[in-house]
Amino acid sequence: MTKKEQKQIFEMWLGQHKGLLFKVVRAYAISTLDQDDLFQEIIIQVWRSVPSFRQEASVTTWLYRISLNTAIKWKKKEQKNYPGETLDDVQQVLHESGTPRDERLDWLYEEIYKLDEIDRSVTLLLLAGFSYKEMAALMGITESNVGVKINRIKKQLITKSKKYDNHGI
Amino acid sequence: MEFDDVQRIWDTQNSMPLYAINEEALHRRILAKKKKARHITNISELLLIIVNLGAGILILGINFSEPTGNIFMYLMAAWMFGTSLYLTVSRIRRISGDGRFDRSMHGDLRHAISVATYQIRLSQLMRWNTLPIATLCLLGLWQSGKPIWVVGLIVLFFALSYYVGGWEHNIYKARKGELEIIQKKLESEDLTDNRSM
Repeated sequence: MTKKEQKQIFEMWLGQHKGLLFKVVRAYAISTLDQDDLFQEIIIQVWRSVPSFRQEASVTTWLYRISLNTAIKWKKKEQKNYPGETLDDVQQVLHESGTPRDERLDWLYEEIYKLDEIDRSVTLLLLAGFSYKEMAALMGITESNVGVKINRIKKQLITKSKKYDNHGI
Repeated sequence: MEFDDVQRIWDTQNSMPLYAINEEALHRRILAKKKKARHITNISELLLIIVNLGAGILILGINFSEPTGNIFMYLMAAWMFGTSLYLTVSRIRRISGDGRFDRSMHGDLRHAISVATYQIRLSQLMRWNTLPIATLCLLGLWQSGKPIWVVGLIVLFFALSYYVGGWEHNIYKARKGELEIIQKKLESEDLTDNRSM
């Protein structure tokens, strides 16, 4: 694959699927600074992954695989800052647009963030509409294990949502 | 709330632009990366020039003070002077080329990538440079009849230098890769648009 082809594919993926990447970023990083860092890391990995893409999986599945793996690894490293940069330099690159925030969505992300790293990935894939089989293949766990995790996550989210509703937020 | 409601909340973000790029902050980050790349390149160049020049003078000085007739040592000194001269010329050309980049975000990014490319080339050349120096050094040792364990130690030293050189080279390549990713993002129209989740 030539660099030009790689660039074209990368730009197409970024254009069509950037929302997916942001969902992963937001589920794994709370502060905007960390979100910037993780976003950059995911973008780098996506770029590197372009030549290995064989169209055996859909682009969405491929991007979820890359971004979730990157997010899990990044989380383990717990990178908190950019070495050698001053406070001014690390000013947030991503900032919120003028669109009003949906508080329910903020709540949902907070709840997802409280899950462990694997459950977080399962939740993102579940909400993205992946089947148990696809999730099992992506996560490298059995379908029954996926089922157990999903049941537990659903119960947990429903319970938390009831508390959230009762507080009238 | 049931899980379907949770799903509906999740799906609301599909049509919602939540993030935009703060170009000023991105520019600052690019400038920080450029500054770091230039600083490292500057230090590496100066160190290499001084080390090669110093080593060349030392070898030549030893050869003149205690003439052994070892031609390989003279050749090694000449090689080191040549390396030092090449590095000096490269440095002058690099610095004189700095002015061709404008001070826009794209210009600074191109400049940072140019410095990173130069650093990669430099580290690769210096890694390859280990081979002729090691060869001349070993030939010199062979001619002067040094014991085998000394030769072994020298081989080990150069092998280690070559290995560490490769490791350093990969770090520079990774740094350049990061800058190129930013450049590709900037080149795509998406960067200036609001990003939708």
